[in-house]
Amino acid sequence: MARFLLTHAVTAGAERSPDKEAVRYSGNSLSYAELESRTNSLARTLIENGVSRGDRVGIFMNKGLESAVAIYGIMKAGAAYVPLDPFAPVARVAYVIQDCGIRHLLTKEAKADQVGEILGLQSSLECLIGLPCTDQPAMRCLSWDDACAAPGQPLANNLTEQDLAYILYTSGSTGTPKGIMHTHRSGLSFAEWAAEEYGLLPTDRLSNHAPLHFDLSTFDFFAGAIAGATTIVIPEALTKFPVNLSKLIQDEKISVWYSVPFALMQLMERGVLDSRDLSALRWILFAGEVFPTKHLRELMNLLPHIRFSNLFGPTETNVCTYYHLAEPPESDDPIPIGKACANIEDLVVDVDGNPVPAGEVGELLIRGGVVMKGFWGQPEKTANGFFKRRMFNDFDDIFYRTGDLVHLDEHGYYRYLGRKDRQIKTRGYRVELDEIEVALLAYDDVEEAAVYPIPDGQGSNLIAASVIPAQGVALSEGELVEHLGKRLPPYAIPVEIEFASDFPRTSTGKINRRELQAAATQRRQSAALSE
Amino acid sequence: MDRKTALIEFIKNEVMRNKNAKLDENEDLLSAGVLDSLAILQLVAFIEDRFGIKIPDEEVVFENFQSVNALTSYLENSH
Repeated sequence: MARFLLTHAVTAGAERSPDKEAVRYSGNSLSYAELESRTNSLARTLIENGVSRGDRVGIFMNKGLESAVAIYGIMKAGAAYVPLDPFAPVARVAYVIQDCGIRHLLTKEAKADQVGEILGLQSSLECLIGLPCTDQPAMRCLSWDDACAAPGQPLANNLTEQDLAYILYTSGSTGTPKGIMHTHRSGLSFAEWAAEEYGLLPTDRLSNHAPLHFDLSTFDFFAGAIAGATTIVIPEALTKFPVNLSKLIQDEKISVWYSVPFALMQLMERGVLDSRDLSALRWILFAGEVFPTKHLRELMNLLPHIRFSNLFGPTETNVCTYYHLAEPPESDDPIPIGKACANIEDLVVDVDGNPVPAGEVGELLIRGGVVMKGFWGQPEKTANGFFKRRMFNDFDDIFYRTGDLVHLDEHGYYRYLGRKDRQIKTRGYRVELDEIEVALLAYDDVEEAAVYPIPDGQGSNLIAASVIPAQGVALSEGELVEHLGKRLPPYAIPVEIEFASDFPRTSTGKINRRELQAAATQRRQSAALSE
Repeated sequence: MDRKTALIEFIKNEVMRNKNAKLDENEDLLSAGVLDSLAILQLVAFIEDRFGIKIPDEEVVFENFQSVNALTSYLENSH
């Protein structure tokens, strides 16, 4: 059958192998036939309750089998699903609901308290599914059972691949969340490439480690369904315990793993991997952050039978480059982000928008089916996010500006240098904060490092760093400064290096540099006041 | 102060950063999002420091940290 909607993968799976498990959670599962029928029912219920094409429907609940039912059911109703971080502060969730004009919310009873608070903080919601009753008479409420009781036959609709499929909210550089709009086409472009590149098979068992609001989850659900594979949804609670997590990988016979590097570093450090049977595992994919090379090498040496791949790309492009590691890296240099995916055109330009000669540093631009439609409700931001290349008199090619600085190495692979907006000015000098992190990580006894600017009170920036020392090692600021002095110009050396046993992380598992920065700024201000 | 009270105080003050937070001793600390990876490490360090109990990596598992009650009964049974 034709496949131009993300939901077609489930329908095809139900026709091809109806009894095959599509999704598993905590020992329970839904077959492709069950997922197909249940998502048809949910879509029907949503439409009966006022959802129409192009609407945004929120998902606010802990993970479960319902996660898969929700995303496909919403898309089958012609709407875009908007996953809301179940652990975010209620004010932020309410902000997204209001900003995105979400009228229908899929949730669970365990979230009743938060939903109650959210209802008072926004004026957009009209209908709750998964919470049978509230004390708000104006709110229409249905249980999950009721929502899935509608007939399960396929729905007739006129959706096209250009219809909105999902909107992911990320914290913009200003801290205000922005909604990244993806269509069925942009989701499929990534998922079809990934299913092909990683050779996914119906026998594969994919991990779903990432939360739904993190774009890594689109691989787990969409590429998995295209292959007719089984996706193992991992409860949030277990992602916090490496010992539980490694047991789940073993018991569920996960064959393709995808997560942020941090989860893999935790597994290696505390996950008792040497006592687990990981023979089913064949691919480990990672994305979202730089994997410190020395830790990656250690992990690859520990698991020599597994292939490793680095996926790269802002949420706006799903994924745009990838790099397979044939061997554990020899030096501690950061590994490449690789080359553009097969269905993507890449271009590197200087500040004036002119292509740079091969090997020179510039901003990476991306063109192809994977690129988002735009930022929800922000036409100006959307326009600024795109770059036009004049082709003919009245026709432009449109590229997404990733904001990432890269250069091509001698092997034809991209190397990532940092975010354009992580390039700061300090005392008149231009500094790459990510370069300082790499220099810190090159020190043997540094486990992890984060570098961020703090205001100097005179309109410029000072550089500060936080460092996690290797286990059982006492590091001094002096030895790190000495080490950095051999690699960096004096103005790039942090004015303060703070030591920590761990870092605050974002809900997607990345180092929360903004929080570290806020704490350091506050420390500095109170120190200045007490002087 | 008994262990249970000390744990509740620590979680409220250092993890939730809110002395007046509601924290039921049976509350699922993980599903409610109270504990993240960082907080679990802080909690382990606190227990080792305050009670002089060494928790091996293999025992830092969901079953032992699911709630304040789960944690106190784990500590009682194994130490």
